[in-house]
Amino acid sequence: MNSENTPLGRVTISPRAIATIAHQAARQSYGVVGLTSKNLMEGITQVIVKDPTHGIEVKYDDQKISIDIYVIIEYGTRIKSVASSVSNTIKFNVEKALGMPVEQVNVHVRGLRVSDTD
Amino acid sequence: MDIEEQSIHTPKQLFPNQKYPIDGQVFKTLIESSLIWLRTNQQAVNVLNVFPVPDGDTGTNMVLTMQAACDEITNSPERNIGKLTHMVAHGALMGARGNSGVILSQLWRGFARALDNYEIMDGQLLVNALHQGRNTAYKGVVRPVEGTILTVAKDITTEAESSLADTQDPYDILERIVTAADASVLRTPDLLPVLKEAGVVDAGGKGLFIILEGMLRYIKGLALDVALAAVQPLAAMKLENILDSLEPGQDFEVVVDFHPNQDLNIPQFYEDLQRMGTSIQLGEGDGIYRMHIHVPADSEYVPIQYIKSLGVVTKAAIENLREQLENIEHERVSSLQFTPVEPGQIATIAVAPGPGIARVFASLGVSAIVEGGQTMNPSTQEILNAFENLPTDQVIILPNNKNIILTAQAVVQLTVKHVTVIPSTSIPQGMAAMMRLISTGDVKEVVADMNAAMSDVETGEITTATRSVEIDGVNVKEGQFICLLNGKLVLASNNLKDATLGLLNKAHTDHFELITLFYGADISRLEVDAIADTIRKEFPQQEIEVQDGGQPHYQFIISIE
Repeated sequence: MNSENTPLGRVTISPRAIATIAHQAARQSYGVVGLTSKNLMEGITQVIVKDPTHGIEVKYDDQKISIDIYVIIEYGTRIKSVASSVSNTIKFNVEKALGMPVEQVNVHVRGLRVSDTD
Repeated sequence: MDIEEQSIHTPKQLFPNQKYPIDGQVFKTLIESSLIWLRTNQQAVNVLNVFPVPDGDTGTNMVLTMQAACDEITNSPERNIGKLTHMVAHGALMGARGNSGVILSQLWRGFARALDNYEIMDGQLLVNALHQGRNTAYKGVVRPVEGTILTVAKDITTEAESSLADTQDPYDILERIVTAADASVLRTPDLLPVLKEAGVVDAGGKGLFIILEGMLRYIKGLALDVALAAVQPLAAMKLENILDSLEPGQDFEVVVDFHPNQDLNIPQFYEDLQRMGTSIQLGEGDGIYRMHIHVPADSEYVPIQYIKSLGVVTKAAIENLREQLENIEHERVSSLQFTPVEPGQIATIAVAPGPGIARVFASLGVSAIVEGGQTMNPSTQEILNAFENLPTDQVIILPNNKNIILTAQAVVQLTVKHVTVIPSTSIPQGMAAMMRLISTGDVKEVVADMNAAMSDVETGEITTATRSVEIDGVNVKEGQFICLLNGKLVLASNNLKDATLGLLNKAHTDHFELITLFYGADISRLEVDAIADTIRKEFPQQEIEVQDGGQPHYQFIISIE
């Protein structure tokens, strides 16, 4: 839990909330055509329950937020550029929403989707 | 017949009377033109950035992507348009930089696919290619954000498709899509609120427009290497003057805000201003225009008079740059006046972390300053260089920092001069020691005196914690202000004023007489004065002095004596 003291009391932000922000940001990021689970078991449960944090893992310790994201990228794009722009987009959006620094965004490319072959 | 290499820098009417379908070589020239035009306008696109992310300069990213595309075809004699556009697409893909670069490469990829196996491109094929480019680009994202380069790509495709009803000529179609792209870019703020808030249009969309416009400009024989007079968003105007770069004839800076009576004819406006001065900038926001110009002496009112003829002036400011420049030069020269030494006298060298502290040391009579402090320890060589040329062989070094004492002591072995290091661990200790310097005195006595003086002063330092930690029973969170008294951590606080007062209390300030605050480079004079006032209230018996220390990282270095 990510918390901050205010004069009135504590504000806590769960990793899940952060993951939702990251998920939305990733979906709007160019070149990312899908998010995928870290492992199969999780994948099966997430097919059943539509999860807004699918494919995102948020770790939080000692004021440091680190985000892992598992993505599928469009075939035919430059993967390096897409990955670096998705991590920048997530960092920017999470920091803007939370006002707290994001230490790391690790992008795991789990697959490519082929819409058109050249 | 002479074979003359066609230079794209000297544009000429490409097809004055008849219009050809586009083959590989013609398209290559068009791509090269668009790169030149994009590069010319690179900065204008860069300033449109909304997101402060690294690697986020859209103009630069698009130029690099197009550059890679161009490199791929630059030496190719390929006349087949299908093959040539595939090379363009491949180059753009390999060189894609940033979001806009990736999307651009996808547009080219689709564009090329539509031209597969075609020798030349006519109007119908151009429309098909644009259509494919748009489709491919849209496939790359789950939830497309409108008001971006994608929207502009979509709008030009729509325009191209509808223009087929009137013309089959690819050049006519190009002309129409350039107009459509321009309009589409102007609509982006209506679709994407974040652009509206920042008062800009979408950078990627603008870049795409410039690429297309570059092609059209080449066909029309217009120059590609001179940027058009551009109006920037007000927020993007950079009005801080770089005084170093001022040249003769830039004596006054004039900034005028105005409402034009009619629509401003911007190229004409620029042309008129260029006759008056240099460094012209024009910004616009909510119907207000802001003009910035540097003009020579005696004509500082000319631009104001001129703008009055165009509309209502709401604000005008004139600043004398010469005077500012002279003041700065003057300060630079007068900042450090070292005490000259004669043979046989004692020279002192002090290590100082900021210009203000260096000045105080200079006024106390040091013969040289070595820049350095907590996070920037000077090398032995730097210390050595500071006194090697002084005309005396008696030297005293004040390291003023625990970490620099050893370095200073190492210097003793490296010189034939007689060097003594006074182990001062802080600025206030160094200054207290300097007070006792008698440069004509006996070295041994002077050193003993200076060493003794260091214990007369208490040193307080306030800085920001770079990580969370617990030391000496004090619990510190990253980003808090922490107070060190004689090098020991005594207090942490979220508030600089509380930290300062707490530190002074811990130091038993009521037993001392004089408090000197050296404030750092990261804190404003206003904030310092407010804190000094509070201290004066809390400690009415003590005298408070405030000095601009200019040191980095430390908000305050406090001498209590």
